[in-house]
Amino acid sequence: MRFSNELLMAFADGELDLVERAEIEAAMAVDPEVALAVERHRRLAARIQEAYQDVLEEPVPAKLAALVSPPAAAPVVRLADHRSARAETAARPSARLPYWAAMAASVTIGLLVGLFLLREPAPPWEESGAGLIAKGDLDYALTTELAGGDGVDDVRVGISFRDRAGAYCRAFHLQQDAPLAGLACRAGSEWRLQVIAAAAKQEGELRPAAAMPMAVLHAIDAAIDGNPLDAAAESAARDAGWQAPPELAE
Amino acid sequence: MSTPTPFDQVRGQLGELLPRLRRFARVITRNVHDADDLVQVAVEKALARAAQWRPESRLDNWVFGIMKNAWIDEIRSRRRRDRVHAPEEAGLAVGDSSADMRDIALSVQAAMARLPEDQRLAVALVLVEGLSYKEASEALDIPIGTLTSRLARGREALQAMLDDTGGPE
Repeated sequence: MRFSNELLMAFADGELDLVERAEIEAAMAVDPEVALAVERHRRLAARIQEAYQDVLEEPVPAKLAALVSPPAAAPVVRLADHRSARAETAARPSARLPYWAAMAASVTIGLLVGLFLLREPAPPWEESGAGLIAKGDLDYALTTELAGGDGVDDVRVGISFRDRAGAYCRAFHLQQDAPLAGLACRAGSEWRLQVIAAAAKQEGELRPAAAMPMAVLHAIDAAIDGNPLDAAAESAARDAGWQAPPELAE
Repeated sequence: MSTPTPFDQVRGQLGELLPRLRRFARVITRNVHDADDLVQVAVEKALARAAQWRPESRLDNWVFGIMKNAWIDEIRSRRRRDRVHAPEEAGLAVGDSSADMRDIALSVQAAMARLPEDQRLAVALVLVEGLSYKEASEALDIPIGTLTSRLARGREALQAMLDDTGGPE
C-alpha cells in the first residue's frame, strides 16, 4: 500500500485537504486493501464514540450542577470590603460584586462572628486590627497541609495560588454543623481571612475538591495572579513558610 | 455594571457543557467517581480562572485542557502518596480484572482502560469528543505530529484488543 497508516487514519477522520483526499478516494476505488484500511479506521472510530454515548444521557449529579448555578443568597461577607468601608468611612460599592456591598455595609463583622460563635463554640480565627486572622486548627492546616491532603480535624485545604501582590493565598473548608468555606492570604506569619461563606453540606466522605461557594470562587477570581500552584510549587511554598519569593522584574 | 463578567459567561456555558465534561472525564479516569470529582475540580478551576478564557476561543476545548492537567496532577500525587502509604484502592483501574478476559473480545471501555495515558487522552479528544487534530493538540499542549502519532498508536492497540478473532500478534 502506498499510503501510511497515519495518512489513512487522517483521511478517515476528515483531516486531509482536497488533493490528498482525492488521491486516496481514487486509490480506494481500485485497491480493496486501501478501502478496507479506511473502513477499519471508520468502524473503530464509530465504535469508540458509541461506547461513551450513554454518559451524555445521564442526569448530571446535583453537586456538579450546583457549581455552575447562579449564586444563591448565602450569608456572605467580604471582609476586605468591610475593612475598606470602615477605613474610608464613605461607602465604596464593589464594582465586581455590587450585591455584596450592601451586605457588607449592613452586616458588621462583629455581628457575623457573633452568629458563628453561637453555633460553633470556638471559631478558628480571631479579630485583630487587620481583620480576621486564622488561628488554631485553621492556622495549622493552612500552614502545614497540602491541597487534597487529609486535612486537620475539620479543616480541608483547597487550591493555593499567589495573588497580584505576590502573597500566597489558600482556599479552605471547615466541615462542621454549619459548613464554611473561605479564602485566606498570607501576611507575614499570619493568614488573613479574605472571605468566609456558608458552604454546602458535604455528603459522605469529603473529597479534596469539595464545592466552593460562589462567593469564595469570586474572591479567588478577583485575587488570583496566573494559575493555581501545582503540587510541586505548593509544596515548595509550604517548605519556605509561605513567604513570597522575591519578585522577578515584571 | 450589569454587563456579564467573564465569570458569568464561563459559568453559564459550563452548565451546558457538563454532560460532555463528564463523558470526557469518564474516558480518561475510567471510573465514575473519579470522573465526577475531576469534573468538579476542573469546573472550580475554570471558574477561578474565568478571566483567562478568551471569549473568541472554544470554552469546551479550554476546559478539556484544564481537565487533562488536573488529571495528570492527580495521577502524580497518587503515585507519590502510594510510595508513602499502602495503596488504599488497589483496583482503581476498572475492567482490568480477570485473566479470562484475554480470550474474549474486550469491551471498548476495558480496551480503552488499558491504553497508556497519553494515547487515551488523544483518543478521547478526537474520537469521543470529536475535536480536530489541531484542537486536540492545543488542548493537550503538544505538537500536532505528536498528537497524530499517539492517536495512531492508540487506535492500533485498540484495534488489536477489540478484534473478535484476536488475530496473530
